[in-house]
Parts: sequence; C-alpha cells; structure tokens
Amino acid sequence: MSKAQPLKNYRILDLSRIWAGPYCTKLLADMGAEVIKLESLRVYDSHRGPVSPAPGIAAYPDSDPGPEPWNRNGWFNCLHMSKYGITLELTEAKGRQVFEELVSISDAVIENFRQGSLARLGYDYETLRRIRPDLIYASMPAFGNSGPWQNYVAYGIGQEQLSGMAHMTGYANDGPMKSGINHGDPITGSHAAGVLLAALRYRRRTGKGMFVDVSQQESAVALIGGEVLAYQMTGQEPERRGNHSPWFAPHNAYPCAGADRWVTIAVTNNDQWRQLAEVIGRPELADNPQYADNAARLENQRELDRIIGEWAADRDLWDITRQLQERGIPAGPVLRGPDLLENEHYTERGTFNYVDHPQAGPKWYQGFAWRMSATPGQVHWPSPTLGQHNRQIYRELLGLTDGDIDRLEEGGVIGTKPTGSRII
Amino acid sequence: MPGLLEGVKVIDLTHYFAGPYCAKLLATLGAEVIKVERPGGGDPLRHFPPFANPRQPGESGAWFLYLNTAKKSLTLDLKTDQGRAIILELARSADILVENFAPGTMAKLGLDYPALRRENPALVMTSISNYGQTGPYRDWKASEINLYAAGGLMNITGEPEQPPLKEGAPLAQLGAGQNAFVATMTALLHAEDSGEGQHIDLAIAEYATNVLENALMQYSYSGREFTRVGNRGYGRAAWGIYPCQDGFVGIIAGPDQNWPEVANIMEREELADARFASRQGRLLNADEVDALMLPWLLEHDKVDIFKAGQEHGLGFSFVAEMRDILEMEQLTARDYFVSLEHPVAGTLQYPGPPISPESGDIASWVYRRAPLLAEHCLEILGGLGYSAAEVERLHAEGVI
Repeated sequence: MSKAQPLKNYRILDLSRIWAGPYCTKLLADMGAEVIKLESLRVYDSHRGPVSPAPGIAAYPDSDPGPEPWNRNGWFNCLHMSKYGITLELTEAKGRQVFEELVSISDAVIENFRQGSLARLGYDYETLRRIRPDLIYASMPAFGNSGPWQNYVAYGIGQEQLSGMAHMTGYANDGPMKSGINHGDPITGSHAAGVLLAALRYRRRTGKGMFVDVSQQESAVALIGGEVLAYQMTGQEPERRGNHSPWFAPHNAYPCAGADRWVTIAVTNNDQWRQLAEVIGRPELADNPQYADNAARLENQRELDRIIGEWAADRDLWDITRQLQERGIPAGPVLRGPDLLENEHYTERGTFNYVDHPQAGPKWYQGFAWRMSATPGQVHWPSPTLGQHNRQIYRELLGLTDGDIDRLEEGGVIGTKPTGSRII
Repeated sequence: MPGLLEGVKVIDLTHYFAGPYCAKLLATLGAEVIKVERPGGGDPLRHFPPFANPRQPGESGAWFLYLNTAKKSLTLDLKTDQGRAIILELARSADILVENFAPGTMAKLGLDYPALRRENPALVMTSISNYGQTGPYRDWKASEINLYAAGGLMNITGEPEQPPLKEGAPLAQLGAGQNAFVATMTALLHAEDSGEGQHIDLAIAEYATNVLENALMQYSYSGREFTRVGNRGYGRAAWGIYPCQDGFVGIIAGPDQNWPEVANIMEREELADARFASRQGRLLNADEVDALMLPWLLEHDKVDIFKAGQEHGLGFSFVAEMRDILEMEQLTARDYFVSLEHPVAGTLQYPGPPISPESGDIASWVYRRAPLLAEHCLEILGGLGYSAAEVERLHAEGVI
C-alpha cells in the first residue's frame, strides 16, 4: 500500500451482475475505488455459475466445481478483485433498512437489472436521492430507461447484433458472425466508468449528484459510428470481408507450420509492400503494376493472399513474425490461451496478474487495463466469496454489532450460502 | 449549457482510431479539445473513404467526421522549435495531453513526460500505443488485425475449420480509446486532489487481453483452451445467430425456466421435449434443436422474431444493418441521433451519446461537427498571445 490510490475517496455501491456493470467497477476498483458488490442469496450474480453445475459448464479449477462452485468460477473471480462482497435481501424489511443506510454513505449506485426492476422494489433514483441528495445513480439496462423497448432484455451477445457489429463481421460471401466474447459488455462498462468519474468530479465541484442513463445498445452503436455515417454517404451497407480491410491490402491471417497456427499481416503502404515482396523472395512483384500501389493491391488481393499463403505455409510463426517486424511490416501471431500466459512481452509488462484465491488457489487473471506512473493499479484481495465481507462492512461501515449481524443472518437477510440459483 | 467537463483543457496529439476516440469522449462531455494535426494532410484518418464529398476528401471522410466531433483543429509541425514551443506553452494551462504516436516519438520531439512535467507538474499525459511504452514488442508495427490477434480475441472468433476472424469494426483500437478515457479521468481526479500529474501507458493489445474474460479464465483455471465455435455460444445451443426470412436473428434461449416459451413462440411442441429442458440437454442435442427452430425462423422477419422473444421474456436480438439502426424505433424515440451540418460534408445523422448523464444544469453531451483542418489556428494561437502577424509568419514558415 505504498502508492496512493487515485480513487480511494469514492465509495460505489454495486448492484450490477454478469459483465457490463462488473467490468465498469473492476476498472474503478483496480484504481482504488471502494466498491461494495451487493448480491442476493436468492439471485446471486449468475457469473458465479450454478449451484449444481452440469459437467463442462463454466471455468472451475481443474474442471472441479468443488463443494461451493459459486466461489470457484473463474468467470466471476476474474472481475471482482479488490471489491467487497456482501449479500442482502432487498425484499426483507430489515434488508431494506440496511440497504438505505448503505445508500446514505455511498457516492454512487450502479445497477444493470432489467429496466424498472429496482423501481419495483421502491428504489428508483427519486427515492434514493431523498436518502442521499448528492447521489450519482447509474442505471444500465439493455435499451436505456425510456422508449418502446425499455423493458426488453439483451445480453452482450445480442448487443453485438443490435449495434451493427455482427452485421459487418464474417467471412466474405457468408453470414454475420459473433465474436468469441460479447463485446457489448466491456464497451458499456468502460463508457459507464468514464462518465461516472466525470459525474463524481462534477459533484465534487458543485455538490450535485445526478442520474446517469445508460443504454447498452447505444453504447455499443457508438463504436461503429463511422459506418453509420458511411452508409448515409454511399447508400451501401458495410461488406463482410473476412480478414480483408476496406482500406489496405494485403491484409489477412495466413496459416503457418503447425496445427491452427496463424500469422496476421497488414501492409498499409508501398514501402511495407516493397519490404514484404523482398522477404517472401518475390522482389519483382514490388513494381509489378498489378500490385505497385494500394489501389492495385486491393483489386488483386486474392492473388496476393495465395502468394503470401504459399510462402507462410511451412514456416514457423515466430520466425515469420520476427522477419517481418525487422523489415517494419505490421505482422504478428494469432495468440492462443497458453501463448498469452507465456508470452515474453506480456510477461515483461506484467499484463496478467497472479492472484491466490481461497477456494480457487493461485491463478492467472486479466490485469490492469493501463499503467499509471504515479498511482499504479493494485490487487488488494481476490474476488470475494459470496457474502465474504458481510461482517466487515456491516460492522465497520454501518456500526452494527455482532449481535445485530447474527440476527440478520438468522433471519435470512444476509448469509454466505445461496438459497437459489437463477442462471442465464 | 456547459457539459460535465466544462473548463477542462485537452491537447490532442492523436490520429487514426484509438486516441481520437478517447479525445472525442472528453470533447463531447464538454472539455475543450485542441486537436493538433500535421500541416498539409492532417490526421491520416481524414483520407480514409468513404467521403461525403469526393472533391474534398480530407474534410469529409466518414470515420474522421465521427471520431472528431466537438474538437478544434490546430496544425503544427512538431519537428520545428516553434512547434515544440507552442505545445509546451499549451501544456502550461492544459489539464490533459493525449497522444498515440509510436513509443519513443514524443521523446524524439522533446515532448516526453519529463519535458511536459517541467512545464506543468499537474498535467495528465495519456499515451496509447500498439503494445505499450515498454517490453520487447514496444517497437513492433501493427494494425487493427495484428492487435486483435495478439490479444487472443481473433483465435476464438470464427468457424473451427476456417481462419480465425477479425471484427469488421476496429474494436481493439476503439475499445482501447475508451479505456484510455477512463484512465485519463482517473488521473485527472487524482491530479486535482493532489496536484500530482502522471503518465498513463495504455496498450491496445492489452485491451484485447483485458476483455478475453471467459476464454482466458477457462485456460487459466482448467488448462482447456477455448476454440472457435462459429455462431454457437461457447458450451451452449440455441444461443447464437440464425438465418430468418429477411436477414439474421439472435436466438438467446435462456435462462432454463424461459426455454418452454421458445416452443410456444415457434409453435413447435417438439421443442418442449424434456431432453431440451436444460442448457446441457440443448447442447447435447444442438443439431436437433436447430433443425426444429429453423423452419419457423425462415418464415418470419427479424424484427418480428426479436419482439416475439422479448414479449415472452427472452433476450432475442437481430442482426441490425446500418439502415435498421438509423430507423430503429427505440433509438429515434430516445432522440439518439444528432443532426450536424458540416460545410463540406453536408448534414448527416450522427450516432449520439454512448451514455447520458442527466442533470438540470448541464448538457448531457456537447455536439459540434468535426473541425476543418487548421480551422482554429488563429483562435488558439491568439489565446496564447500571438498576434495575427505572428500567426501569418508561422504559416509562411510552414510551422502551422
């Protein structure tokens, strides 16, 4: 704890689940914000996985869910480091009282329930700001808090489709393709984190809180905005081009020696093209009018792909990459899981964090999203087990006695064992 | 009305996608962003097609117009002593400097963090680069595809028997840009608390690793590798993109308790079979489930399928094309699009705020069209005390 924590003065009550909201508060917790993640024992964060998982589901250490699988799932454990984990039933009178006390000492509340869910519990923005007048309340349902679709639900995978991302992704002459992740989630989470910080700064200067309306869909459309303008200019929908670029050629992934090993190459100017022609042993192609400038290369890129593909086919991925980089050609490997954790560059930069979790053991995790020279990110503790910090938070922040806390436990208002498992 | 970041001054030395998106978010929240471009061509992204006005391509490229709203443009040759001096002068009263040159370039220009800090110890300097400011790949050349691949995302996108696939949109760069916005806001809060500025090092390739989520966790936890699974959700069935009558839809058939609704919606009792009741059961019988759903899907339109699912509590979606997005009833009801007039590009509908902060006395979002190249030279240099004659001299000398 030698270095300062830039966000240490901010307390965020986090009711969000799955990925979008938790990614937002991960970015903030990594920078020292005091994030209190609140879950229900009946409906805990479904990223913890099922109470009784079927084989092959989720990510458990050595594929073994163990006696408390909800505390052993990597999907959850990669997103909640340095957050406090508490449970509370907002449907119980005692739980409501505790919740309102928590709100009164929090700077911001963030939630990504289905639109209106928290309002039905009696906790819309207007209610909560009576408890805490300068509260910042970030609400992030799928389609925002107004409009004809406001009650609809959508997950990250759906946002890739509804935002237009999927439409422009896919192999040439084939259908749209989803990504290997759900881009909609971290995109929304990151936008929300930045705007939340801007709102906290504004409050510090003016004393005023505010409501922050997040539509996950609008947040995702923001990342393809240029294509929305392009369509208005040309009347043409974006084409699915596989790994080709609308702007440069050659531009593709080429198979190398070994099973499922690929090198990506993107030539963006004539100098790089001249260098590439030499590396692949075809210097005469550099000035061939079919390939001499970018427009010609775009026109004839299938033939270029064939030539480059033949050259790469029986070569080692890393040899090729080094050779191309020495010549200043944008190129690099398609990295897989094991490659990432063993990669020399990521190892030297400390890209991934190695964190010991009480029920999962020591594991590698995604690290900090950026480096800061004066206030670097820190891992203070692993992702909390369900209700792990109940006693600490309720005693230290709310001043409850051990007896009060025992009674909340006996009444089922808080606890550490799930009483339900509603899983997406 | 002012925006949330009214009064914050940003020097924007960025180009292409990642840096400009970071600075766009700052600008449209109300910060004053001075985009510094090289004399002559400006930001190379200005020359990326398509163009609204092909006779003036440098002022009407789609992605440039989108990523540079609400900024001011100052041209400056950073390799000249005068150019460098002007940046240092600007830095004295700025809060933030964002740049995405290749690592080492700012040092060569005499504008690295120690130099900037001497002018302004509270300045936040945000550097966005391909692989970061340190490490063995620091000087590697890269484009979007190389970074998407190096971050592990490409390996898990696409069909198992086909090549790994990149996204159509430059999501690694734009995602890195938005995270740089969060990093910058974090450092700004700290600088205002403590008077201490700092240097942020954000790598685009690391952004990709940061959002790998389940794929990285599965390997880290169990040693099993994620692979490409095409349009089927990993470890799931009836969870992905399917063809329909007029395009493609997303069938997202969960949670389990909602699955029986799928049989109702699609009017196929066979789908209510007990074998398909659990996520695991659907996965074991994925082909059969798909075959039972397809006939109904192919007879219905995407928006109707989407709404049928939603009305039954299922998070169905559809693959929106650009025309669907521009006409989407939800977006128009929320006044999402903003109409901006540009002297060269004309009037276009711009995607609006990714997020709306709502407070009575601030604008949720500040919109202005992207600047013409060098449009604000006089205003910005005048603000530093340069006379019109001095600005004219700088122009004649090629500094601006």
